[in-house]
Amino acid sequence: MGVFDGVKVLELGAGAAGPVATRYFADHGATVVRIESSRRPDFLRVLFLTPENPFGLNGSPMFVLMNPNKKSVAVDMSKPEGVEVARRLIDWADVVSENFSPKAMAKWGLDYESLRARKPDLVMVSSCLFGQTGPQRMYPGFGGQGSALSGFNQMAGWADRAAVGPHATITDSLSPRYVAFLITAALLHRRRTGEGQHIDVSQIETGVYSLSEMMVRFGANGEVMERRGNRDERGVPHGVYPCRGEDRWIAIAVFSDPEWRLLRRAMGNPAFSEDPRFDSVAGRRAHEDELDDSLGRWTRDHDAQELAASLQAEGVEAGPVQTYDDLLADPQLAHRRHFAPLQHAHLGELQFENYGIRLSEAPPRLETPGPDLGEHTRQVLGELLGFDAAEIDRLVAGEVLV
Amino acid sequence: MLSGIRVLDLADESAWLAGKILAETGADVVKVERPGGDPGRVGPYLGEIEDPDRSLRWLALNTSKRGVTLDWRSEKGAAMLRGLAERADVLIETGAPGTLDAAGVGWEALRQVNPRLVYCAVTPFGRTGPRAQWRAHDLVVVSMGGNAVMTGDADRPPVRCSLPTAYLHAGPEVAAGVAMALWSRETTGLGQLVDISLHEIQLSTLVTGPGQHAHAPRRQRRTGAVMGRTREIWRAADGWISFGLRGGPARIPNLVATVALMDESGMAPEWLRSYDWEHYNHNTLSDEEIARFEAAFGAFFATKTRRFLYEEALERRMMLAPCNDAREISEQPQLRSRDLFTTVEYPEFATAFEHPDFFAKNTGPRVGIRGRAPRVAEHNAEIYAELGLGESDLAGLSSEGVV
Repeated sequence: MGVFDGVKVLELGAGAAGPVATRYFADHGATVVRIESSRRPDFLRVLFLTPENPFGLNGSPMFVLMNPNKKSVAVDMSKPEGVEVARRLIDWADVVSENFSPKAMAKWGLDYESLRARKPDLVMVSSCLFGQTGPQRMYPGFGGQGSALSGFNQMAGWADRAAVGPHATITDSLSPRYVAFLITAALLHRRRTGEGQHIDVSQIETGVYSLSEMMVRFGANGEVMERRGNRDERGVPHGVYPCRGEDRWIAIAVFSDPEWRLLRRAMGNPAFSEDPRFDSVAGRRAHEDELDDSLGRWTRDHDAQELAASLQAEGVEAGPVQTYDDLLADPQLAHRRHFAPLQHAHLGELQFENYGIRLSEAPPRLETPGPDLGEHTRQVLGELLGFDAAEIDRLVAGEVLV
Repeated sequence: MLSGIRVLDLADESAWLAGKILAETGADVVKVERPGGDPGRVGPYLGEIEDPDRSLRWLALNTSKRGVTLDWRSEKGAAMLRGLAERADVLIETGAPGTLDAAGVGWEALRQVNPRLVYCAVTPFGRTGPRAQWRAHDLVVVSMGGNAVMTGDADRPPVRCSLPTAYLHAGPEVAAGVAMALWSRETTGLGQLVDISLHEIQLSTLVTGPGQHAHAPRRQRRTGAVMGRTREIWRAADGWISFGLRGGPARIPNLVATVALMDESGMAPEWLRSYDWEHYNHNTLSDEEIARFEAAFGAFFATKTRRFLYEEALERRMMLAPCNDAREISEQPQLRSRDLFTTVEYPEFATAFEHPDFFAKNTGPRVGIRGRAPRVAEHNAEIYAELGLGESDLAGLSSEGVV
């Protein structure tokens, strides 16, 4: 039993943020149909159009890994008959999730106001960088902007160096979680009241809201927070220290004097740790550079995984800085079945990933890899929309379903 | 959207945001803190006056909730929590695996009391498994989750964001998990256990990186302000901006527009003004060519303020954005035009200040901040009245340290 068995989701858009959000539904039993087109292919498909890829738009591992359990329908939205197919899919759907720039849906007559008249119980989410309104809504968005404008760049990195931002574009992974929540909450509301709704989500705003602490510290006290490397307002030592091997590291976080004593004991009381200046939080804070230096000299001859395990066994908070290879071999992730292999027609076996949620009565499922472009066009139009074969043939011949 | 849903929020700061999201979309969220207040009520404090009710982290992430104190580790307190759970739809907790079970208020105990209860356990690594008992706050979660090794400069250790992104990602993920279980309950009539791993949540920030690596191995590196081969973060006269030298049909017009702006300031060298953009491909540039581009663009940006550059970018559709700090975010006309900020009143401190409001603009029931975060024990009387406890009962329980 999937949580969303029987729920029908239609997805329009491209890139990461939209598909990441609808996977919550696809992995838990919903039927999720993507509208896409070879006329304007998803840039995650285009990204891998290289001479080494013989499968063209269907050879993008990133697209395939990001869109499991979904169905792909090829529709050229620049043709009126294509828009009509999309409208029929909207009639079929409980939920429409789109992440185009604000004018696209209106151009096709598929904006919420037009759809609501036809389908008052529709749940629709429009998600883009700036949102559907405001002076900058049409400004061309790219991943880095979300991180820069919402404050994450400024807050990540070293105080004496350029801002760096957390790896990858953080609002692309943060905002879909909100979108999945909001769609589910809107479905709950619809179930109780029969009412649908439209929800306008700006990725930048999901970032600023999430950074409420930073904004409130400014609003209340006028403080403008700055990045501070791995230093922490409470923890000391609190950092990432070198380990044996190339680019191997361990994170260690100590939040109290008893925790410091645990660390000291776990290390076997090396001479530097017995320095009485380090006995108290205040002392460690006052000599933090020296403490970090000494701790780093001690950690650097150890294996990161082994050291973390032995420190944790003594109650010390520590963890290896993990690479992709470490993640693929991580015993805890294996226990949770985070990775699940699926065979892909062109790319062979691929390691798909589950999200962080495990429901006791309804585990996530990974059944089919991300679809080829238009893989399910005939199936969806025939079985879900009731088009007959001749009509589908005519639309194919007219290059509507491409 | 969630009106009528009662949430017991036992979470520490790793999941405060989750309860806030649920409260700001309509749920009745009751924060359950230990007597004396949550240990996460830390500084900095409002007006720099040390007081748990003035903790800005607390005030930021617990808006729209009510609050009670309760020592559920005590026998009486556990009985009271069971009473509250009987009347609740959702419970969120962040104890180490087994902590609530030991006190007789874990999932198995509470489902007996209330089979419709959605019980959400948020832990660093999940409730079971070989690392379930490992301890972790943000830094360790982010480090183990695969993001840190690629964040920062090549000549320094991996680095995190100075605000806890592990918890910020967890907020909406937990809210989504809770909402999914509530949706399931509509059909089954039963609650369930929602087991959430902060560590696993981190992996989706890698946007399928591990799976791509398993397919075609690639070396992971920290490249600091550089993305791929070209610079992404640049120094402006008064701070940092984000700007890419990458090409492609969607991006080349912005490079042309930027050069035109440089030219107006007399800062576009002749070779750049006459550059053949039609055939520009950042992937095929030599290192010398990249250095030449970076020197020209970098020299220009360094003489201009971020505000100037961003205003010109908006006008000319250049793909350039300032790395904003809190003050600059609060001044953004785009965010102002959408009423992202709302003023929350603090009459007991004779002040009021802005919070980012719940951001969604919807046609359905109103969403948004409904009031300031609760003071320690603020709603004990009204909530415990539901259990039939009066003033004298509470006085007794207080002297015993239960509330």
